[in-house]
Amino acid sequence: MSHGFTPGVLDEVRAVAARYPRREAALLPILRVLQRVSGVLGRAEEELAAELLGFEPIRVREAVTFYSLVRQKPEGRHIIQICINLSCSMAGAGSSLASLQTRLGIGPGETTPDGRFTLLTVECLGNCDQAPCLMVDDDDHGRVREEQLDEILGRYL
Amino acid sequence: MVKIRIDDRLLEAAEGSTIMDVAQAAGIDVPHFCYHPAFEPEGSCRMCLVEIEGAPKLELACSTRVKDGMNVLTSSSKVMEARKEILEFLLAEHPLDCPICDKAGECRLQDYYERYGRFDAHFREPKEKRDKMVSIGKKLLLDRERCILCTRCVRFLREVTGTGELGVFERGARTEIGLYEDRRIDNAYSGNLAEICPVGAITDTDFRFKTRVWRLERGASICPHCGRGCNIDIEFRRMTEDAVAEPRIFRVRARENASVNGHWICDIGRYGHPYWTENRSRFVLMNNDAKTTRLSWDRALIILSEKIKGLGLRGKGGRLGLILNSFLTNEELYLIGRIFKKAVDLGNVWFADPKPQEADRLLLTAERSSNLRGARELGFESRPPDLEEIVKRIEVLLVIGSGLREAFAAGEVRKALDRVPAKFLFAAHTGPGDDAYDFLLPAALIAEKLGSLTNTLGLVQEFQPVWRPPGEARPEWEVLADLARELGSGEAWTDLTSIREAMARENPFFRKGHE
Amino acid sequence: MTRERPGLLDLTEHLFEFDIYRSRGGYEAARKALGMLPDAVLAEVRDADLKGRGGAGFPAGVKWGFIPRDGGKPVYLCVNADEGEPGTFKDRWLLTHDPHLLLEGIIITAYAVGAHDGFIYVRGEYETAALRLERAIDEARAAGFLGERIFGTEFGLEVMVHRGAGAYICGEETALLESLEGKRGDPRLKPPFPTSVGLFRCPTVINNVETVSNVPRILRDGAETFRKLGRPGDGGTRLFSVSGAVVKPGLYEVPVGAPLKDLIFEHAGGLPPGRTLKAVIPGGLSAPVLRADEIGLPLDGDSLFRAGSMIGSGAVIVIDDGTSMLDVLGIMTRFYAHESCGQCTPCRIGTSWLHKTVVRLASGNGNMEDIDEIARVASAIKGRTLCPMGDAAALPILALVTKFRTELGSRVEEARVRSGSW
Repeated sequence: MSHGFTPGVLDEVRAVAARYPRREAALLPILRVLQRVSGVLGRAEEELAAELLGFEPIRVREAVTFYSLVRQKPEGRHIIQICINLSCSMAGAGSSLASLQTRLGIGPGETTPDGRFTLLTVECLGNCDQAPCLMVDDDDHGRVREEQLDEILGRYL
Repeated sequence: MVKIRIDDRLLEAAEGSTIMDVAQAAGIDVPHFCYHPAFEPEGSCRMCLVEIEGAPKLELACSTRVKDGMNVLTSSSKVMEARKEILEFLLAEHPLDCPICDKAGECRLQDYYERYGRFDAHFREPKEKRDKMVSIGKKLLLDRERCILCTRCVRFLREVTGTGELGVFERGARTEIGLYEDRRIDNAYSGNLAEICPVGAITDTDFRFKTRVWRLERGASICPHCGRGCNIDIEFRRMTEDAVAEPRIFRVRARENASVNGHWICDIGRYGHPYWTENRSRFVLMNNDAKTTRLSWDRALIILSEKIKGLGLRGKGGRLGLILNSFLTNEELYLIGRIFKKAVDLGNVWFADPKPQEADRLLLTAERSSNLRGARELGFESRPPDLEEIVKRIEVLLVIGSGLREAFAAGEVRKALDRVPAKFLFAAHTGPGDDAYDFLLPAALIAEKLGSLTNTLGLVQEFQPVWRPPGEARPEWEVLADLARELGSGEAWTDLTSIREAMARENPFFRKGHE
Repeated sequence: MTRERPGLLDLTEHLFEFDIYRSRGGYEAARKALGMLPDAVLAEVRDADLKGRGGAGFPAGVKWGFIPRDGGKPVYLCVNADEGEPGTFKDRWLLTHDPHLLLEGIIITAYAVGAHDGFIYVRGEYETAALRLERAIDEARAAGFLGERIFGTEFGLEVMVHRGAGAYICGEETALLESLEGKRGDPRLKPPFPTSVGLFRCPTVINNVETVSNVPRILRDGAETFRKLGRPGDGGTRLFSVSGAVVKPGLYEVPVGAPLKDLIFEHAGGLPPGRTLKAVIPGGLSAPVLRADEIGLPLDGDSLFRAGSMIGSGAVIVIDDGTSMLDVLGIMTRFYAHESCGQCTPCRIGTSWLHKTVVRLASGNGNMEDIDEIARVASAIKGRTLCPMGDAAALPILALVTKFRTELGSRVEEARVRSGSW
């Protein structure tokens, strides 16, 4: 059953599952692919993963709701994750966050009306010597000063 | 075997057992929520922490395996403090629903607080607000505020029924139990969930708001609805002061029996409790030209015995018909055999039983009556009734039980019975078509008499009455003993013991030890 | 960034490329190891006194020794690259700049314990690190250093990169296994330990990135050399992630037992001008805080433990007088409440309780009694939980409210005045 996914996507997730000695272990990598493809992890994605891995969809949802990087709500084209843990807070993450909220007009957890950015506050990203730091999609940005925010955001259309 | 001490008691334990195993076997209560003897240890509630001499931290009784020479303290001050604090955590995020919660009176959280808690509540923060009436199954409601995430319900559905309808979602304080989309709990054992929930998070709508548990009387019995013979507790109240008043049944619960049903019962037995009290036959009645009059038992039995004896005067032959059922007890079936062996041609004995259905891999047997195995052991062959045969051959028909009514349409039965000269119905329940019988005799059910049943695996289980039969209803074995006397059989069956002794003498199967 | 010679850190540019790594002598230690008996390799690592670098500090060679020989089940090796302890970034550096070093360490470790499948569990946010690792694996396999018959021996090994998905708790070894098995990252009860019942219920060794990355040099230079760099029972050098109020935040390699003061004031350049030291967290957010007057300690597990703290992940966070300890407390309590898996009563409810209390205090609605209450709740969590995260939350919170009680009291009071609730 294709659950509405293209053969290319089905091939990709099957290939991921095949790399593991037990296919259940492929859950997180498969969810990663499906999140990239669909943007969100809804019922169709859960059922596809469940079918591929040989367990019930409810087990997939248990994992989907457990992990922070796995998201069920529709989001913007670009995800901003700004660290607000200790070293980054001491380096001024609070004002960067306030600045971002003003510039984008949204609060943490929200998406801009034009669908461009979703803003998330997160715990330590492991980049503490580059505090304050943030990620946009998979890109790290360190020692972020307020003056740089426009330029950084400008790279992501 | 190893030797350990728990609270200064020297105890022997099998290697590999847990502290909890040993404590339970010795009758030592170690408080717990997530632990359940039917499942592997979970270790998440932390209520069963105990002190082990020489160990730096408290350890879980449910998962710690005993070692020779271990010295366990279940009530030291460290342990009591831990219990208090675990309770405080649980109550911090628990709604004060006791006044409206069904579980009050049998709630572990309440009981443990009473015993080990009793503190000034320090939690000042806003409690998590969650859904309080989530319908998760045909008779089940989930209250997420009350849930302490012991996961017994999740594990039951994964490990016992294998259906896995519930899961654990989110993490941290947002963790909650839930269903997947519209897939609800829809299996034959769902009622056990409300029983195993240690608090009032899962409640049973069959019982919800009907009474307080401390008002209930409880009696042990055997579920009659299939051949497993699950041990049950029937919980009821007599709604008046009168000790002989008929009971109102509130619920049926599982009674643990490792050889029969383990810790569970199925929903048929659990929710089938109207069987005990609804549509009961209470009076001895005679139907005569569209008139119904009451009779005494004595009178009715005299009439019946004369009808039967009357057949004998015209020569032994296939004139007496018996429609039996395999809900009858071992003793009753044995008596029937003794009394009617000479009078009844075996070709005129039929069994009107519910149709067999699918057995499941848990408790439900294919046969949906409680003593099919007993009937077999006593030499009966359970042929279903053949109405044509009956019409052709039978002059006096004694129908015991409600099976005929369930096997055929009322019209069909009536047509057949109209052509049988004398017909007697001896059943516990009334129903359509009763007026087709000449005589109606009210019978008692298992919870109202003494007896024993043989389950599908050959285990004989004795039982005691929990309440008196309603109205004039009488146990079949008593009536049959009276009938035997009336028929002049020369045998006097004065009590159940005499029947059992005779049964054991004649049939080696019934000589072995009983439950 | 500095290192002592001989050290773990190699600053050669493009070291993540196979040819460069090889030119630096890479994979020769693995070749040497595969020419020895597995038990001999294990003994070498055990004699080197290499302690785990992830946080628990358990001796690596001793852990490897628990793996049953010929147990009938496959043995697995998992490398914990879920680096989530706030303040820590050493594994990110190792994975991104020196992935072949880790692979070489994996080959030797797997050979020593009899594993033929290795998984590197990389936290989901480390995109570059994961890509570098995957490329390095491809390069190593192409050279015959992974796959079947490595270096022409009978030993075969497959290594996979497995990406995490945002859960600090998956850095706990049994939660990591659950996650790798495709489930929620809920820690398991111990015993049984992963060396008996691990991945897919098979014996499993789980080691941190830095731990495994140290293995090649032990084989190359010998156990004694490594051991002597450090202290008795605790050999080698350690990577310290220094961040916070220092002039030169970054990764520093010093011998085990080097003075904490030197790390902060010499290597990391001390505090910026105009700032004074208030506190130091020596081992990641879960390590109990040290006051400014308590930092005269050597950087080794035992010394820090005796001082009431821990070396943890080696993440040194320097806090200056400009930082409010109430803010620090707020970050701590928020972090643990967010990351709790939710299985066990004290952590699930306790971390949330603490977080809610601090939020209330910070918004101006609390008093000194609440500070004492925080200490009480943290104590109630301590020692009672299913996994070490309970203590990881309770101990630093307890240390903070004990050592900085006065300051916290004034901050709470200030907040009350500011909010007008007086």
